[in-house]
Amino acid sequence: MRILVIIPAYNEEATIKSVIRRINLKMPQADILVVNDGSKDNTSLEARRSGAKVIDLPYNLGIGGAMQTGYIYAKENNYDIAVQVDGDGQHDPSYIKDLIKPILNDDADVVVGSRYISKSNYRSSVLRRIGMIFFSFLVSTLTNQKFKDTTSGFRAVNKDVINYFSGRYPVDYPEVDVLVRLKKRNFRITELPVEMHERQGGKSSITTLRSLYYMLKVSLALIIGTLRSSEE
Amino acid sequence: MIINVYSLSIMFSVLFLLIVIELVRKNKLQERYSLLWILMSIILLVLSSTPVIIEAISRWLDIKNPPSLLFLFGLGYLILYNLGTTVTVSRQSERITRLTQELALLRQKITDKDS
Repeated sequence: MRILVIIPAYNEEATIKSVIRRINLKMPQADILVVNDGSKDNTSLEARRSGAKVIDLPYNLGIGGAMQTGYIYAKENNYDIAVQVDGDGQHDPSYIKDLIKPILNDDADVVVGSRYISKSNYRSSVLRRIGMIFFSFLVSTLTNQKFKDTTSGFRAVNKDVINYFSGRYPVDYPEVDVLVRLKKRNFRITELPVEMHERQGGKSSITTLRSLYYMLKVSLALIIGTLRSSEE
Repeated sequence: MIINVYSLSIMFSVLFLLIVIELVRKNKLQERYSLLWILMSIILLVLSSTPVIIEAISRWLDIKNPPSLLFLFGLGYLILYNLGTTVTVSRQSERITRLTQELALLRQKITDKDS
């Protein structure tokens, strides 16, 4: 089983090193790919020094375009499992083992590390929590599957999903959108409880002012997405 | 020549048509994008030079002031054309993204080989 950990990173020079080091420690058998999404700082250099493979995008494509680059890489290099981990240190690499277990057992195609199930001690802002509850309601309604944390970017996917993602992946704010698309194509999605840390450096890509626009755009994408034929 | 909405509209369509042709001639506008602009100016030219047509349509649609049909036509055409343009922009942005990804992947492959 070839495992690739994909880390999309935009200006994460403060944390990328320790993220890579911890992944190496917990998952020595996995390869690590950093997709540097046009960072203006030394993210790329720091990642290279830590021994990760680095793809430098010439300008900021946004999280969707950056993640897809990682999935295309995974497909071209014949990986069986791809795990996406944020570059800011929120995701604890010790959970990667748990995330890939259902895939190894062929119980799921996609495993989402959810910060909302039981043991998480993650605290987030009120606005963010409202958004998360709203999306989990919307996605659960549209897919007939209960989702607690639709915005988590801590995920593992198998080869079929790698192939699908490398062909089509939503551009903006892809985490929520992708769940609906996957369910529509009958991929099996499982949510697992994980602990998440506060981000250890850098800034969240979601600011207060943008949240409303974000919610509107994602909702629209989800609702129109359900009208799309699944062959596409 | 009497200056009214029709004569102004005729002058505008002729001038617009000339500008479009000039842009295509100078390779600043591709033929495929110019076709709909040329079509628009010709329709506008025909409508404004033969008032009988829009007067007939106005009676049929119960429009009190026939020249406002010219505006309606212009507005509708622009809205549709603009929609078409954003479709083109979407397609191009998707292609640019793909190109960017392919470029970055290729560059990674090359540096990988060198080291």
